[in-house]
Amino acid sequence: MLQIKNLHVSIDGREILKGFSLEINKGEIHAIMGPNGTGKSTLGNVLAGKDGYEITSGEILFNGENLLELEAHERAQKGLFLAFQYPVEIPGVSNANFLKAAVNEQRKAMGLEPIAPGEFLKMMREKMELVEMKKDFISRSVNQGFSGGEKKRNEIFQMAMLNPQLAILDETDSGLDIDALRIVANGVNKLHTPENAFIVITHYQRLLDYIVPDFVHVMFDGKIVKTGDKNLALELEAKGYEQFELA
Amino acid sequence: MSLEILKNIQLKDKNQQQSLENAISIGSPSMKHEEWKYTYYNKIFQNPFEVNIDTKNENQKIDAELVPLLQEEKYKLVFVDGQFIAELSYFPQSQKFSFWNNNNVTESDSKDFLLELNNALVSDGVFVEIQDGFIEEENIGIYYIATKPNQIFNLKNKVKIGKNVQVKFSEYFINPNNISTYYNTVSQIDIDKNSIVVWDKIQDGGELYYLTDNTFVKQEKSSVFTINTITVSGNIVRNNLVIDVNGEYAENHMNGLYLLHGQAHCDNRTLVRHNEPNTNSNELYKGILADHATGVFNGKIIVDQKAQKTNAFQSNRNLLLSNDANIYTKPQLEIFADDVKCSHGATSSQIEDSELFYLQARGIGKEMSRSLLTLAFAGEVLDKLSDRNKQFVEDKIFTTLGINI
Ligand SMILES: Nc1ncnc2c1ncn2[C@@H]1O[C@H](COP(=O)(O)OP(=O)(O)OP(=O)(O)O)[C@@H](O)[C@H]1O
Ligand SMILES: [Mg+2]
Repeated sequence: MLQIKNLHVSIDGREILKGFSLEINKGEIHAIMGPNGTGKSTLGNVLAGKDGYEITSGEILFNGENLLELEAHERAQKGLFLAFQYPVEIPGVSNANFLKAAVNEQRKAMGLEPIAPGEFLKMMREKMELVEMKKDFISRSVNQGFSGGEKKRNEIFQMAMLNPQLAILDETDSGLDIDALRIVANGVNKLHTPENAFIVITHYQRLLDYIVPDFVHVMFDGKIVKTGDKNLALELEAKGYEQFELA
Repeated sequence: MSLEILKNIQLKDKNQQQSLENAISIGSPSMKHEEWKYTYYNKIFQNPFEVNIDTKNENQKIDAELVPLLQEEKYKLVFVDGQFIAELSYFPQSQKFSFWNNNNVTESDSKDFLLELNNALVSDGVFVEIQDGFIEEENIGIYYIATKPNQIFNLKNKVKIGKNVQVKFSEYFINPNNISTYYNTVSQIDIDKNSIVVWDKIQDGGELYYLTDNTFVKQEKSSVFTINTITVSGNIVRNNLVIDVNGEYAENHMNGLYLLHGQAHCDNRTLVRHNEPNTNSNELYKGILADHATGVFNGKIIVDQKAQKTNAFQSNRNLLLSNDANIYTKPQLEIFADDVKCSHGATSSQIEDSELFYLQARGIGKEMSRSLLTLAFAGEVLDKLSDRNKQFVEDKIFTTLGINI
């Protein structure tokens, strides 16, 4: 589904990703762990198509297509989703209008008619239940005045509405209390099918008790330095990242 | 063509003739005037406009379908090309209204070109009196519909609102055939004690439309006046709004939205004089400027020495959608009392990249994302309008920005 080959990315002339490679197949869950500032969010942003990054070499294929040639919204329409580490507030745009626009743009790209209002409401209600969102949330502005945890939940809610093929969750667990963590993880597990895949970026082994990864990658200084199974996360928890600094 | 056209006019009424001579001697506003620094008024007279001083045209008609808003409106006063059209109008039967004509033009010595021009050339206008205690939820629409090209129209309204009244007026400046024309309107609104009045101005004349609107409001004790001035198109639009707060505990809310694209130019000038203590004014004007559009905002608040415990807040915020769009904004406070709370602020910003990316990352195209964010910016003012006016303005914004949700 996704192949990242020897990706080098700079910001303002400073290299952040330094030969990052990763292959993801349908049905897989990959966890990426690594110290602050190693480029995990940069990777997510580059995948999602944010401007301001210079791709100096390497390649990204999404279902065989060159991802780097697509605009951000086209990537999303083709089934890529980034749950942001820091979701922005958008005053004046209601969650309902925002999601309706998103759902309909996606449908348009697939050659479908806009969703019927009744069907849309039903879908909203269903998916809100999944992440236990409060009802008044529909009419509120996107993320405005949301608590940290509510913002993260909103990311998962949006993911549920758009039903992506590949979702990148950038520290969605940070700032969540135990209950919220369980809700978010349950949401992800319910959405997980043999047809889709997840990249879960996290600092905490705790999340991986709920969302069980097929692979755990350690990212250090702009690339993957070690790959293992879920036990690698436990090992990291115990030993930290110092071992990689020496390498 | 220039102001020369005025010099060739001979008016029968002596008050009108006097105003015409006043206008000529004052001269039309030039950009050398501080008040007109950014607005090229004389551009209007470069058009081949004619002044129509003929008496009423009996056959004035309009295809009502041209103006969908009109059809759903219950109470309405309709002017087509500067003339009142009784067949299209309907007013609450209990309330009085009459018209301006050549017989009741009064003397004027305003020292203001636009007011003298209006007094000299006024073709029509309503004189409305709302009786004490009248409460009506239904909007009263005042429509100025332009159909005849290359004409200058001067309309004058006087609205007297009694005590304990609750009413809502909306003026619609519309131009269904997109012709070139100049409207110079003057309205005087006097609000007596305890009355609550909402007044919307919806200005949508198109790119060949010139408008100078002059609105003078007087508020008595404990009255609440809300005015929403919405400009969605126009070549040059200048709004002069003057509010005298003459009674204690009176308050007003001035909201504005100008949505300009192409070469459009909109100049909003507001003046509030707090003449009595314990009065409030609240002002929020927002501008969205695309292409080569220009916005001007000049808001002045004067707090008289005896107007203690006045609260006056003013804010002008602008969203620039293009590097070629310009905004000139100047808030002014003149405070002569010591126990007051006043603030003002002006900002101009662009669409936030992080917000844009957030929408795009959810599959919403760049243009549509920009449009949604633009609409969101306008929302704060749009929310002050009645559902019907809000819908009308939103639809305009959708068309202008090409949104479809
Ligand atoms: N827009 C930017 N301009 C300049 N430097 C940037 C920018 N974005 C990221 N960086 C730098 O790139 C490096 C990687 O940042 P990134 O956000 O990808 O790290 P991370 O692995 O997600 O860290 P964390 O675990 O703290 O979220 C950091 O040194 C950061 O300062
Ligand atoms: Mg990060």
